[in-house]
Amino acid sequence: MLARAGLGGRLGGSGVRGMRDSFEARAVAGLPEGARLARHDAAVFALRGQRDAAVAAVRDWEALRERAAAIKAHALDHLDLLLERFEEKARGAGAFLHWAQDGEAMNAIVAELLAARGAKRVVKSKSMLTEEAGLNRYLHARGAEVVDTDLGERIVQLGEERPSHIIVPAIHRSRGEVGALFQRTLGTPPGMDNPEQLARAARRDLRARFLAADAGITGANFAIAETGSIVVVTNEGNADLGMSLPELHIACFGIEKVIPALADLGVFLRLLARSATGQPLSAYTSMVTGPRAGGELHLVLVDNGRSELLADPVQRGALACIRCGACLNTCPVFRRAGGHAYGPGAPGPIGAVLAPALGGRNARNGRGPRGGRNARSGSGRAQNFAASLPLASSLCGSCSAVCPVRIDLHGQLLAWRSARRSGGAVERVMLRAAAGLMLRPRLLAFAGRVLRRLWRPLGWRIPGNPAAPWLQSRELPPHPGASFRESWQRETR
Amino acid sequence: MSGRESILARLRRGARRTAAHPGEHPAPQLAAGFAPFAEALRAAGGAHHGPLPQNKLAAKVREIAARRAPQGRVLAEPSAAALLGPGPWETPAPDAAGHGFEDAAITIALGQVGCAENAAVLVTGRDAPHRALLFLCRHLLLLLPLRAIAGDFHSALAALPLNALAHHHCTWICGPSKTADIEQTLVQGAHGPLSLDVIAIAPGGESGAQ
Ligand code: SF4
Repeated sequence: MLARAGLGGRLGGSGVRGMRDSFEARAVAGLPEGARLARHDAAVFALRGQRDAAVAAVRDWEALRERAAAIKAHALDHLDLLLERFEEKARGAGAFLHWAQDGEAMNAIVAELLAARGAKRVVKSKSMLTEEAGLNRYLHARGAEVVDTDLGERIVQLGEERPSHIIVPAIHRSRGEVGALFQRTLGTPPGMDNPEQLARAARRDLRARFLAADAGITGANFAIAETGSIVVVTNEGNADLGMSLPELHIACFGIEKVIPALADLGVFLRLLARSATGQPLSAYTSMVTGPRAGGELHLVLVDNGRSELLADPVQRGALACIRCGACLNTCPVFRRAGGHAYGPGAPGPIGAVLAPALGGRNARNGRGPRGGRNARSGSGRAQNFAASLPLASSLCGSCSAVCPVRIDLHGQLLAWRSARRSGGAVERVMLRAAAGLMLRPRLLAFAGRVLRRLWRPLGWRIPGNPAAPWLQSRELPPHPGASFRESWQRETR
Repeated sequence: MSGRESILARLRRGARRTAAHPGEHPAPQLAAGFAPFAEALRAAGGAHHGPLPQNKLAAKVREIAARRAPQGRVLAEPSAAALLGPGPWETPAPDAAGHGFEDAAITIALGQVGCAENAAVLVTGRDAPHRALLFLCRHLLLLLPLRAIAGDFHSALAALPLNALAHHHCTWICGPSKTADIEQTLVQGAHGPLSLDVIAIAPGGESGAQ
């Protein structure tokens, strides 16, 4: 099981049973069996339940969502001005500002900052952006030891795999698997699978690393233009140790994180933790303005496709995301496929919306070839994979319903599908045939009768059946025996 | 063109300048005071004490310290130490590095603002100049003036002391450090403190507060 993709592990090779690298291929390869699937599904949906309970207790929830969406719309419409203001204020407070066009540039800036100070031991807190850009791998190749310090991130780092969830990176792993991993990598006793003991073992190991670190790297949940502050939110306090102990603090974040004013922060913070885990606020919300006494603060503002996305009238909405993970927790596809079926950036609905725009860039950190300068003109394989992600949705709209900043996620997924060039000759022929059939009621009724006879054999038994991958992971439901029209006629006779 | 200039140029092309800022969110008028704060703190895994007059604070701190970490090293940040007066706590030198406090059992700091909606306590850089102490210790003890507890988080943010952001950090602390990363089992003390105690200071007893 552990060698498989999806919930279990990593994808080996470029595809599954001859399929090109796509969401379906990774999901089919990684589909977990019985108990594992049930555990993942239950764990993810429990987060949705916690979110619902927390939201029900907030009377002005919908007004907050509306306000948050409006603030983000304003911020995106004035992003250049807000960034300039943020830059001026942050510089005034003593921070150094750096601008990175893409993930590669961000990696180079960070590597240079570390090298110039001879910093080799780096503690890093959770950041989807550095994951997106493959920062760890880049720094490792240049001799730095980068340790992920969020417990879930540390688990996936020790297991040499990717996070499978924005908020709970190791949600795909059981306590037994974590115990075995820690036994192998941290030397914990065999059979130890108590979460508290495992967390303590990780704490001991990481505490020593915090104390020895030369530099701390964090992301930022928000950047406040009015004050030049960054805001970092965690439950563990790992980011705080990382920015308080070493003299060098580097914060890398996307340019879309900037919000206009301190007062706006209240709106987003009241939404964020409740949407993520059902907490009214995470344990630590740190507003950092300038460096600490005797320290250095470097802020790396990263574009990596965001400015191009901003020019897209439909897809720009995704830039409002505050990475709460609520859309993942509610998504029936994510809950069953797991986060590894998606690309190297965010998984779930928001990942599927962002990937076609940013996917080619991020492919260098995934299993695809190096992405091009522009994702939309990027490498074919990476582009194909990214383009397959909007298909990983039932379009039920649950993601849009829970999104605290009211991103029209399912609308954007639909727009990506419409914009997508046809998947191939077979798909084109099938869609044309389906359209022809729908326009001819008699032919449709006849086809229905034939289909009901061929119901079972149509599945995996027909060689080359394009529906076969879909059927590898689920049973065909029993067919009803009669069409709706036939049933209706019988009932009303 | 530099990275900065080309990013800004692209952003200017995408900036529509149409959406106006919607203005501040109206505060939801939630109950302030210690009772709702204490309830939210319990839910966040913390413990509450008081409200107590200033002259009873030191005794309460000794009692909590004896229970949480008998014989442990207790550190009080300067403004908290000024409120407590002399006691079995040491105040770190202004220029001390965090690395020297790895063995801290308890850190005591003064909070400037509290929020009943979520039990958050704001600790500013002025009140915690040795920031690492808030996270290195095994137990954190915060003193919070009762009058500084706002009902909702918007009001709490609006109550930020003047120049609060001028001292490197402002940290909202809401319960002890925690994780649920292993099979969603809640564990307190992921990296930072295993426990959080908040003592409310009765009105008139917080001369060290801003
Ligand atoms: S798209 Fe919305 S629901 Fe999904 S992670 Fe972003 S903010 Fe949360």
